[in-house]
Amino acid sequence: MAIAVKLDDLLHDRRMTLTELADRVGMTLANLSILKTGKARAIRFSTLDAICAALSCQPGDILQFEAEGLAKKKRKAS
Amino acid sequence: MSKPVSSSAALPIAHAVLRILVVLNWLMAAVILVLLVGMPNEQWIMSAFKLTPSPDADRLVMALRAVAVLGLAVIPLNYIVLKKLLAIVETVRAGDPFVATNAQHLRAIAWALLTLQLLSIVIGAIGRSVSTPAHPVHLDAGFSINGWLAVLLTFLLARVFAEGTLMRDDLEGTV
Repeated sequence: MAIAVKLDDLLHDRRMTLTELADRVGMTLANLSILKTGKARAIRFSTLDAICAALSCQPGDILQFEAEGLAKKKRKAS
Repeated sequence: MSKPVSSSAALPIAHAVLRILVVLNWLMAAVILVLLVGMPNEQWIMSAFKLTPSPDADRLVMALRAVAVLGLAVIPLNYIVLKKLLAIVETVRAGDPFVATNAQHLRAIAWALLTLQLLSIVIGAIGRSVSTPAHPVHLDAGFSINGWLAVLLTFLLARVFAEGTLMRDDLEGTV
């Protein structure tokens, strides 16, 4: 997927755990983990809205487009 | 309020009927095999149809043998349709019918039904070609608008299942 999810960085900056975020946005930890690890196929606007509200950020702070080659390289490196 | 799928009587009935049809299909195969290679010889067929030796009678006997051979070809096609339907019924009973394999099952059923329709046309044509006023041959075969509609419907249903499965996969990956 050429869309990278930068939830890890945001959580680190906000000193917040995934469990805390799950409680704040009313999502299950499993679903949030799917989003964080880039395994989600799609994201609802309501989910994006809740995360942005909880982390005081913009959608662009969470999602980032990466060219396919770059995304593959990053996946191999990680 | 509708009853839950698992408690519906339709599924056990469908399952039982399909199993009976599978057995009947094999019985039909046995009967055709016996007719084709077993007891009845040419004289038996001639006397059964009250035929006197003539070129027309020979043609009729040949045509009946050809129909029997085509009838044998129908057996595996029927088997495919029945077994695939049974597999679909099983997934409905398990509560998860919208899976990619069911789309493949339906596509296989559609191709089998299409081949059955083509065989039916050939059998009907053979029957008409040897039918004479003196010895009319009435075979329940030929072009059937309902049969071809069933073929079309099954291909469409297979496509609907394939698309539905993809949509469900997408929905499951949505957070």
